[in-house]
Amino acid sequence: MSKVEPREASPDEPEPSKAGTPTWRGATARPPTPDGSPPGTGAAPAALAGAAPEAAPGALAGTPPGTGAVDGRPRPGAPPGGVAGPGAPPGAGARPAGGARGGGRRSPVRRREALVGLAFVAPMLVLFLVFRFGPTLGAAFLSLTDYRLSGEWTFIGAGNYTRLLQDDLFWESLGVTAVYTALYVPMTVLLALGTAVLLHRTLWLRGFFRGLFFLPYVTSIVLAAVIWKWIYEVEDGLINAALGVLGAGPVDFLGDESLVLPSIAAASAWKGFGYSMLILLAGLQSIPREVAEAATIDGASAWQRFRWVTLPLLRPVLFFVLVIEAIQAFQVFDAMYVMTAGGPVRASYSLVYFLYDSGFKFFDFGYASALGLVLFLIVLVFSLIQRRLIGREED
Amino acid sequence: MARLRLPVLLVLVAFVTVTPFVVMVLVAFAPPGGRTLPGAFDVTRASLRNFTDVLQSADITRWALNSLVYSLVSVLLILLFASMAGYAFAKKRFPGREVLFWAFLATLMVPFQATLIPYYILVSEMGGVDTYWGLIVPTLANSQAVFLMRQFIVQLPDELFEAAKIDGASEWRVFTTVVLPLIRPVLATLGVFVFLWHWNDFLWPLVIGQSEAMRTLTVGLATLEGENVTINQIMAGATITVIPCLLVFGLLQRYLTDSIATSGLKS
Repeated sequence: MSKVEPREASPDEPEPSKAGTPTWRGATARPPTPDGSPPGTGAAPAALAGAAPEAAPGALAGTPPGTGAVDGRPRPGAPPGGVAGPGAPPGAGARPAGGARGGGRRSPVRRREALVGLAFVAPMLVLFLVFRFGPTLGAAFLSLTDYRLSGEWTFIGAGNYTRLLQDDLFWESLGVTAVYTALYVPMTVLLALGTAVLLHRTLWLRGFFRGLFFLPYVTSIVLAAVIWKWIYEVEDGLINAALGVLGAGPVDFLGDESLVLPSIAAASAWKGFGYSMLILLAGLQSIPREVAEAATIDGASAWQRFRWVTLPLLRPVLFFVLVIEAIQAFQVFDAMYVMTAGGPVRASYSLVYFLYDSGFKFFDFGYASALGLVLFLIVLVFSLIQRRLIGREED
Repeated sequence: MARLRLPVLLVLVAFVTVTPFVVMVLVAFAPPGGRTLPGAFDVTRASLRNFTDVLQSADITRWALNSLVYSLVSVLLILLFASMAGYAFAKKRFPGREVLFWAFLATLMVPFQATLIPYYILVSEMGGVDTYWGLIVPTLANSQAVFLMRQFIVQLPDELFEAAKIDGASEWRVFTTVVLPLIRPVLATLGVFVFLWHWNDFLWPLVIGQSEAMRTLTVGLATLEGENVTINQIMAGATITVIPCLLVFGLLQRYLTDSIATSGLKS
């Protein structure tokens, strides 16, 4: 049996060609030979093969996965699940799947397959370790420090968080973001639902119109913001020019504290509704035709059919779209950066804008990280609500 | 009457949807100087002056080059790495496979902005500020790409790969000659998405490309204002940035819209 040593946790060991080996090395304490044939005793790969299913439940707590899987292995000496034979799974957590695979466990074919698999995942794994898992843990850590531009820092515990709670700017930006979300989500989803229903009902040039409605979605928010900023302009803007012809206006859409958020939300809704429209359209098309037909035979009007037949059946898709758009809305930044720079008087100063300023204007990295974590928690709550609702829907 | 209502509504919504694009183009081609409206609607006086002016006053060609490098290199590398990882997750048994796949997916829950600061510190410590690699490499860890690849490859029958292996082909050969051709439709779809994500990306290029020469077109467009540029020139710049999106969209519209409906891909 190979010796299992504690793995030196270095998430970023760059071994481009054989970078799949960290996990492997952790378990065997020996790197494979360059030609890829496994080193050490034949037991090593068997141990590795057993690690996967057993480690799965325990390693979910956010540890870097490669390491988690290996560390979750049984101690040396404790036989890996399934070795004693498929019929008698010994260790706790040994699942039937492990036993079923016991036959091939020791074969060089399996060992080779594992190596090949790891080698193929390796480039992505390294990228994820360095640029996803690392920074995520880093954010949590940074938020507990007063990390500055100089790179100097001290551990200040919950200092940033208590400061957040007392910071008017934080509450203001949170309020702005919440109001923006409350405006953007209904606008976008109603627009998406309306266009989806229109497209669903029509056969005339459906592909053409679908493409047309989707067009704004493939452009950038920056582009949308630049165009709409001009559309909203007091002097010479499109809307005010039209209002002028009618003898009304001018309206300062982006300069008025109570108009600025609805105006930005409308521009963003124009840019973003195409995505939800496609999802909702797919949802509509998955509703069996017979259901609507039955309702028609029962004498239901078009509105009644929509309200009492289509809408309830569409509910899971609607929930999905609502939550996705809400998550999107809570991260708003680009539109405000371009259209208003957060103004007037911070009336459009969003949470991410505050985060951006804290980090890249005041170089208060620890504080900005704490803001990032708050954002993450909010998004997480949205996701959990979604799971809840959709889960219940499926029951 | 009711029969007519539907098409009329459709045309109306379509009109509102394209109006911002139309006015962008009109203003971009309007004769410079004077009031923007209503002169912009006089198409007989269209001119290219705003385009030549904005190309002179800002380094748009350089920004366009940066955007192209950022988008195209990312597309190529993400397609390669994600299809490799997707193949392994779908067809190879290796230790930690389930956990790893789960962990890749879990990163979808973390908004990019939430980790922006450590991301930036990391890349800046590595010397990646104002470099192409600093811009590109961190964005390659794309979990949606891996997920999409795995979901597609997992439904391909094993026999396809086994046959090639029995013929003595190496694993890499199987991958390049069997797997890659089979997944061409996903490669196309994902390629379009990754291109658009990167071409339209704003926050990351904004913080990592600090010199003017390292701006992407999207960042450049956002910073055009206030640099003594007229609205006509800004719209000319905007028109330039949107051309690649429209090209990609025009060519691959079907791939794009179908895959959202079936897989819910989202930036």
